Amino acid sequence: MTRNDPIKHVFIWPALLIVLVISIFPLIYSLTTSFMSLRLVPPIPPRFVGFDNYTALLQNPRFWHVAWTTSIIAFIAVALQYVIGFAVALALNARVPGEGLFRIGFLLPMLVAPVAVALIARQVLNPTMGPLNELMTIFGFPNLPFLTQTKWALGAIIAVEVWQWTPFVILMLLAGLQTLPDDVYEAAALENASPWQQFWGITFPMMLPISVAVVFIRLIESYKIIDTVFVMTGGGPGISTETLTLFAYQEGFKKFNLGYTSALSFLFLIFITIIGLVYLAILKPYLEKHK
Amino acid sequence: MSVRTLKGNGRWWALAGCLLWLAFTFFPLYWVAITSFKTPLGVVGGPTYIPFVDFQPSLSAWRELLSGERGQFYNTFIASTIIGLSASLIATAVGSMAAYALVRFTFRVKLLSALLFVVVAFGGYLICYNIFRIGQALSLIYAFLAALSLAVASSRLRLPGPVLGNNDIVFWFVSQRMFPPIVAAFALFLMYTEMGKIGLKLVDTYVGLTFAYIAFSLPIVIWLMRDFFEALPIEVEEAAMVDNVPSWRIFIGIVLPMSKPGLIATFMITLAFVWNEFLFALFLTHSKWQTLPILVAGQNSQRGDEWWAISAAALVAIIPMVIMAGILSRFMRSGLLLGAIK
Repeated sequence: MTRNDPIKHVFIWPALLIVLVISIFPLIYSLTTSFMSLRLVPPIPPRFVGFDNYTALLQNPRFWHVAWTTSIIAFIAVALQYVIGFAVALALNARVPGEGLFRIGFLLPMLVAPVAVALIARQVLNPTMGPLNELMTIFGFPNLPFLTQTKWALGAIIAVEVWQWTPFVILMLLAGLQTLPDDVYEAAALENASPWQQFWGITFPMMLPISVAVVFIRLIESYKIIDTVFVMTGGGPGISTETLTLFAYQEGFKKFNLGYTSALSFLFLIFITIIGLVYLAILKPYLEKHK
Repeated sequence: MSVRTLKGNGRWWALAGCLLWLAFTFFPLYWVAITSFKTPLGVVGGPTYIPFVDFQPSLSAWRELLSGERGQFYNTFIASTIIGLSASLIATAVGSMAAYALVRFTFRVKLLSALLFVVVAFGGYLICYNIFRIGQALSLIYAFLAALSLAVASSRLRLPGPVLGNNDIVFWFVSQRMFPPIVAAFALFLMYTEMGKIGLKLVDTYVGLTFAYIAFSLPIVIWLMRDFFEALPIEVEEAAMVDNVPSWRIFIGIVLPMSKPGLIATFMITLAFVWNEFLFALFLTHSKWQTLPILVAGQNSQRGDEWWAISAAALVAIIPMVIMAGILSRFMRSGLLLGAIK
């Protein structure tokens, strides 16, 4: 039931104006700039170049490399977050002993500043003075190049992402699990269904809509990753762990190549939209099947 | 006892898994905490784990940090606190108003008016800038005002085409979060620079950064508070309406007090987001209004492996949010966040 009252304009306009100003201004500015050749250092007068910035980017192997790296980080990290998060949420929902304490503890990483997390990771992963090195030395692998070799560095970034954002998945899935009705499980217990059957037959299908939403949010957010990478590896070694946002930052803030950077951010937007749409299109039949 | 409670061995396996995850979660935090109490020699000499047993804790890193001889810690902390508190307070207030309006009042926006807004904003900017040769900042402002007034005026006309309702407006707000923030951060930096040229200084100012944070928190606030307001019983408000209480007094006197837990939780979630935010602060500030994440990130390149000092700095950024997590978990148990995902 909604009603009509002129005062509604007073309620909505402040928020509407703020978001309009902050979203439409940058949109206009960067979309028009993306079709121009515009550099601050060295300063050259802006010139309309059509799609040149876009074609230059699409032909730049670095762009594809960066997009690929970002995708690897995002997909592997979100997959791990989902699997671990679901397992922990199930355990908490099943009233594991000490559940109350776990809940507070598990929430914590989400609220820690990503730059601080990355700095801690640098200490823990230090190849000579870090505790992980000592652990690996016991197993006979001293001084592993955790942050200076591509595969290890990617793994380290993914591990940090998992550490930080699995709590979000736990939080959401736990809230979802608590809304599931008890009677279905009672019926399943009467039929002597094993916990394994109950999970795949009842829990997982009923949790599918929430799962889809949670993974979607995490995927979109993961593509935006910059702070962790910025501090942990700075994109290195070379450009092997550079992500899309970091690439845009380097081009825009270090080289002041404005037209190019604007085009890059729009390609990024298109890229992320395509991934979101494909993801939803793939999962739609499953969602409808279980409705 | 619920049917879903684990029995027998499964219970202990689950407990073992949870403990393992808890160790993984807490070890880095424990590590940073003890490192901040180590001496330089204690850090370089290899990893040590237990204070008083492995190493003698020392307050030197903290003393150094708090004496302010290493960078402007106090200023940055105060800037972060002021920006964080005011941005989340304003965002929660403005966002709750909008969320309430979207739950209780009817909105109808014609699609053509919305399109007109976008077209006029783009066209106006291009015409002002390229044909009349007005500066970029003024062109943007003129184009925005023209687009807004035309869109509002046109919504009074009888326009054909589809009409957008409350849900579409909510979707529009929330979809702002899908945007890669780099698009906005970079363009905002350029726009703020342009505004600076016409005398409106926004880069590295309180207003500039806070405004950006308010705008980027609003989608979350509206999303969370809308679910919360929807769950409130409408009967109380209807009773007040029968007595001819004006809507704004219903909102302030009845609705807000009823939704206090929701408001507090939303405020804290927004505060955590603003406090930890890195990208906007990186682009929009450089000295005076720099926030903690930027300072903490800079420690690494400035100091190399001085882990004792870096740990103390990182803890300053972490501790306020840890205290908040304790408070937030109470709300979590009360089932508040349940509504947010439906």
